[in-house]
Amino acid sequence: MRVEIGVNGQTHAFDVEPGRRLSSLLRDELGLTGTKVVCGEGACGACAVLLDGIAVNSCLVMAGMADGRSVVTIEGLGRDGLTPVQEAFVKEDALQCGFCTPGQIISATALLADNAHPSREDIRRAMAGNLCRCGAYPKIERAILAAAGS
Amino acid sequence: VTTRIVRTVREFEGTSVDVVVLVDDSDEGLGEWPVDAALSVVGRSQSRVDGPVKVSGRARYTVDLALPGMLHAAALRSPVAGGKVAHLDLEGARTAPGVRAVLGPDDAIGSGSVRALFTELEYVGQPIAVLAADTPAQADSALAAFALRVEPGWFSVDLMRSLYDQRFVSEPIEEARGDSEAALARSDVTVALELETPAQLQTAFEPHAALADWRPDGLTVYLSTQSMFWARAELARALGIAQDEIRVVSEYVGGGFGGKLGAGWEPLVAAELSRRAGRPVRVANNRHDEQLTGGHRAWQRQTVRLGASREGRLTAIEHDTVAAMGVTPRPVPFRMVPMTLYRCDAVTARTFPVKLNLRGVNAFRAPGAVEATTAFEQAMDELAAALEIDPLQLRRINHADTDQRTGKPYSRKALLACYDRAAELAGWADREALRADRADGLLRGMGCASQIWGGGGGPPAQATVRLGGDGAATVVTGVQDPGTGTLTAVRTVAAEELGIPIERIRVRGGDTVPNLIGPAAGGSQTTGSIMPAVRQAAIKVRTKLLDLAAERFELAPADLEVRDGRLRSRDRVLDEPYTVVLAELGDSTLEAAGARLPNITDASINTFGCQIAQVVVDPGLGTVVVERIVAVHDVGRIINPLTATSQVEGGILQSLGFALCEERVLDPTLGAPTNSTLDDYKLPTIADVPEIVIDFVGAPDLSANATGAKGLGEPPAIPTCAAIANAFAHATGRRCTALPLTPKRVLECLA
Repeated sequence: MRVEIGVNGQTHAFDVEPGRRLSSLLRDELGLTGTKVVCGEGACGACAVLLDGIAVNSCLVMAGMADGRSVVTIEGLGRDGLTPVQEAFVKEDALQCGFCTPGQIISATALLADNAHPSREDIRRAMAGNLCRCGAYPKIERAILAAAGS
Repeated sequence: VTTRIVRTVREFEGTSVDVVVLVDDSDEGLGEWPVDAALSVVGRSQSRVDGPVKVSGRARYTVDLALPGMLHAAALRSPVAGGKVAHLDLEGARTAPGVRAVLGPDDAIGSGSVRALFTELEYVGQPIAVLAADTPAQADSALAAFALRVEPGWFSVDLMRSLYDQRFVSEPIEEARGDSEAALARSDVTVALELETPAQLQTAFEPHAALADWRPDGLTVYLSTQSMFWARAELARALGIAQDEIRVVSEYVGGGFGGKLGAGWEPLVAAELSRRAGRPVRVANNRHDEQLTGGHRAWQRQTVRLGASREGRLTAIEHDTVAAMGVTPRPVPFRMVPMTLYRCDAVTARTFPVKLNLRGVNAFRAPGAVEATTAFEQAMDELAAALEIDPLQLRRINHADTDQRTGKPYSRKALLACYDRAAELAGWADREALRADRADGLLRGMGCASQIWGGGGGPPAQATVRLGGDGAATVVTGVQDPGTGTLTAVRTVAAEELGIPIERIRVRGGDTVPNLIGPAAGGSQTTGSIMPAVRQAAIKVRTKLLDLAAERFELAPADLEVRDGRLRSRDRVLDEPYTVVLAELGDSTLEAAGARLPNITDASINTFGCQIAQVVVDPGLGTVVVERIVAVHDVGRIINPLTATSQVEGGILQSLGFALCEERVLDPTLGAPTNSTLDDYKLPTIADVPEIVIDFVGAPDLSANATGAKGLGEPPAIPTCAAIANAFAHATGRRCTALPLTPKRVLECLA
């Protein structure tokens, strides 16, 4: 099937089998390897992207579901430098191995778009779907608070 | 320059290894950072050097790499825990669409000295055959063409049954000093504790992965590993080629936690497939295979018996560990904790390494010590209760001034200061007030645990520093940074000695070229190994810079210094940017190498700590929430507080998972893990994170090395689970005989 998907501001057309996942299109067809696949079943949030502004696990989005819609990946954030969320992650050391980091930043970006001044509890609820095996959580929380300026 | 040969030792995960070091005299006499040194960069927080590239998604891990013509591999794995291959159609797989190379159990890999594929099946997930195809989908589809049939056979995944059957993977080990049996019989007070701890899976988020490109002029392997040089040596041996023909690249590694030490299976088959296909081959585990075969902390049953005098002095220790080793032997420091944590003259520690039909155990962040501490420190709390002595006080009473195994003094030990500081930060004095009945019906408690581990590091470790005419410096090392912050610390150390702005310093690691040997990122040995080498190289380059400036300004080098990017004379008459003398270098550079000096051999180099956990238990729901962990560790000088605290938080949270939710569950009838996905293997989330209060005590350990810094990767993971279990017992008055403390176990325990 043929799908057209806007990715980071540019429209791409693909001929894909219906079962193809958005995460695979991004990584394997467009080389956007910032989107990581860790669990492949929506349990960890590493593959999060913004789909029409909403954070989704791209491993659970079939290519057809993204047809005609617009996707922003980690590479599409802050193309003129780092966004405040990205800067806060660096400054607060909210990452270790860095593998889950793109998904964390996508989810944090979506959270702050929705709620500019989240409480700690808001952050814990919104970010609980983004696992981090290194345990950068305390500093992820701090980075999101810092990015929110609260 | 002269070189002499020195024999020394280095410790790795509780085992002392003899090392021969070639010591270059230019590395000696460079002094040290005294305890009260006025350092301007070291000890201040520096943001992670690879932070910007990681937060923008531009860091390319092994699984992200693609080479022209690259093939994708898929592995056929055993569906049974015991049995043999009855039918395997290799020809069918070879002719499947897109398939370019196939390896079966009879195909020699490299020199044929290592077996990587099997027909006698010993565990679920064991590799039988592997193929490489043009696309991942073709590779996965082609697995069906093997038409595998197996003849199921006998197996055991029952720890106690295999113990009764005396089915061991290696000989049981008994280590003893004194007569613990007699001492136990004579003790005023005795306690005994039995505990079962689960298999915990490392679950690195980047799976084990390799991309091999075997060309006529050599083999390049991009590898997700914690030990590039071990991997290179292993591959050279297995493939029958020289180490210098192999380049291992590990620029970004998505976690390891011990599970990625050594080459492993993936690069071996990737290299052989690449040799046969004449194309690059990518081997990467999917998540299910990673959870099945990536490795784990051993499932164990431990028995601890302690005897003490009425005053609380330990008179006898007996600690037996029955460990599910899987199908392959491995040395694990199960006995370090009972043998060395406290002063005691009568100790027997026994290890029973049981063979089960499971993938062999590998390292997981302080292997053996996390589990042993979890059992031993709970027994210590039982003893404290029996003696009616404060648990921290009992630990102080039994403090070991010397290494109980060797009789040697410790290079430095500030464990008593850790107890004091942790008690202060946790409000230990008021812990009994936590247990007062409250309207919410919840039970609260506080528990502590001690930590001992190695972490001194040692040779060989090498670094070079180069300072160019443009004022930019590059530090090259052979270390990999799997998220530890190692390269950021390297940059910090170099900035301190070069005296130039840290932003002007690039650091390189993650590549065995140009053959600067670095330690594995394991055993908490990286910092103590590589930082002194970096420091020495940077001092030598600074000396050259000052020589150059002395010549240019007609001053004595000793009258000059470089700091904060300024070249100054002691009398401040000269005060210029450091670049002023570099400009005339042209294409030349100031360059020097440093190599880690030998360890001292007359003292033991260790790390210590104390953690205190505060928990709240819901006796109706069986839930345990950790409210706070206070972590105070003695690891010598802290080079970068920002990344050091990240290491502590990470260690604590992995062991919080071990205490509360992480557990590989086996189906006893199939011998297969039932939770090999992240949906049902439960990792802690951000919502499970307690308040974490961190402090470091203890002076820089200048007997360990000239920087005074020791390893910190593993120590914080060691006492967390024991402290949580002790807090649970304090809250509830009960002790669970098995971990993790899931609601089901807690409700059974409280019933």
